[in-house]
Amino acid sequence: MTALLTLNNVSKSFTRGGLLSRHRIEAVKNVSFTIDNNRPEIFAIIGESGSGKTTLARMILGMQEVSGGSLTLEGNRVGGRTRKERLAFMAKVQPIFQNPFEAFNPLKKIDYYLLMTAMRFGGAADGAEAEAAADTALRQVGLSLSEVRGRFPHEMSGGQLQRVAIARALVSKPRLIIADEPVSMVDASLRMAIVNLFGELRDKLGLSIIYITHDLATAYYIADRLIIMQKGEVVEAGAAREVLSDPQHPYSRQLRDAVLSPQVTAPISIK
Amino acid sequence: MTQPPILRVDHLKAHFRSSYFGVYREVPAVDDISFDVQPNEIFGLAGESSSGKTTLMKTIAGLIAPPLELIGGNAQFSFMPPATNLYGADPTQLARIRWSRLSYIMQGSMNVLNPLRQIRSIFRDFAAVHLGGSKSDFETKTANHLSRLRLDPSVLDAYPHELSGGMRQRVTIALATICRPDFIIADEPTTALDVIVQKEVLGMIRSIQREMGSSVLFVTHDMGVHAALTDKLGIMYAGCLVEVGRTVDIFNAPQHPYTRHLIHSLPRIGDTVQRTGLTGTPPNLANPPSGCRFHPRCPLASDICTVERPVMRQVAPEQRVACHAVAGADA
Repeated sequence: MTALLTLNNVSKSFTRGGLLSRHRIEAVKNVSFTIDNNRPEIFAIIGESGSGKTTLARMILGMQEVSGGSLTLEGNRVGGRTRKERLAFMAKVQPIFQNPFEAFNPLKKIDYYLLMTAMRFGGAADGAEAEAAADTALRQVGLSLSEVRGRFPHEMSGGQLQRVAIARALVSKPRLIIADEPVSMVDASLRMAIVNLFGELRDKLGLSIIYITHDLATAYYIADRLIIMQKGEVVEAGAAREVLSDPQHPYSRQLRDAVLSPQVTAPISIK
Repeated sequence: MTQPPILRVDHLKAHFRSSYFGVYREVPAVDDISFDVQPNEIFGLAGESSSGKTTLMKTIAGLIAPPLELIGGNAQFSFMPPATNLYGADPTQLARIRWSRLSYIMQGSMNVLNPLRQIRSIFRDFAAVHLGGSKSDFETKTANHLSRLRLDPSVLDAYPHELSGGMRQRVTIALATICRPDFIIADEPTTALDVIVQKEVLGMIRSIQREMGSSVLFVTHDMGVHAALTDKLGIMYAGCLVEVGRTVDIFNAPQHPYTRHLIHSLPRIGDTVQRTGLTGTPPNLANPPSGCRFHPRCPLASDICTVERPVMRQVAPEQRVACHAVAGADA
């Protein structure tokens, strides 16, 4: 067994305030988990806003330094030290963001992003190779290069644009995708198609996906393992369906009980 | 059922019209919508983004400003004198009605409260003129009302940024309910909140509504919220209302293919059935599909759907659906 991603007591603290009123905020405290290279999985990170989910994701992406513990990808320090190491790292770990309309520059055509990613991280030597790589990636998400070529972000629907964002992440043939709330801005009728796509990518391409969400129902539906975070700490970890069927920690129970099931049973309590 | 409805929306149409540099655009965001809201009822309105939910809210509340234009139809509140509506009323009359009889809980409490004013002043700005009475009376009333929403009277001295998201949202609910209005319009009031806080806030909206006996028009895209809170539910798709009925019936026996899909696509904890997304993309309202607007994505579409727009038909005592396929099966 080789580890793809290893987090060992990862912490992150920010200092806030001036010289006299300085105080530290512990955004992430002692988080440890491992994702195995040979067993692709969807690993969900669940928590409310301010629980440190996004900070953790930014550290895994190498966008933020860790302040304690170690964070390694295939044994190497996340982010790399030199430019060459950094590019190699970025080819292996790719992000998908929450709002596809904010992730793309509205003044640039969509194919620009795909082709640039192919040239820079995908190892494409010329335009033709880049186009082939972009087309392969788009076909993996149910689109094709001819459909998106020359189009601007505003010409596509949120669901389509999120698919393009996923395709862009796939261009460099990554081992790991970090998806930060990837479906919360997508319309309900398209949401499940995107969630199912993650399952397909895991099964067909052998990718691991870190799925950050506050939606327990989709986590139950698609994730293999999950951790529940509260105020920067992991309060519960385990197999997704086991944890959500029978949460042990009081916070996880509270979180689970607050999920409004789309079923009409008793009206919400008056108290 | 013998009571007259507090709000009757009758073939309401409101379009965005713009004409710049000779390019004329008309977007039918609210297209021929009719429904009733009974007194003491929470009416939910669901639909995806750009289905016209918020535009419908604005039209009902009479907040019509260019490029939005009222094309036809009427939204009649029972507390308005007969034969007058919000669109024709003069400004002084409107000012009396707004907030005392009709109030609004808006999306994003951070942007609604003036960041430069204390909560106390915000309450005074909104409600003092309607409640009347002396300044100290008003203060006591406000404090009492806040305690009903489990807010400490000390929040009156706070500025909006000093409160957490959940507290701010409770302040906006308190603000909308302090004059005990007959009708409250709530536009995605809990979308920005965490699930735990959301459940608490929904419970408060429910209890305060039951206590005052007012009606609430509650808009959100979250079907879980509708299932937990609303009595009746309307489903919107591309500017049209496609199905209306009791929330229980809509969840247990959805009729319109879009509603059916919407309900069946929701994952539930403790259930591992494979869920699918809908194929196709939501329509562009500037150029909506002909006939039934759902036909390009509909599994039941036939020839008539591409040409003729379905009208609302009664399928059950309290359920109406606009679909050729469903009406055909029941007729």
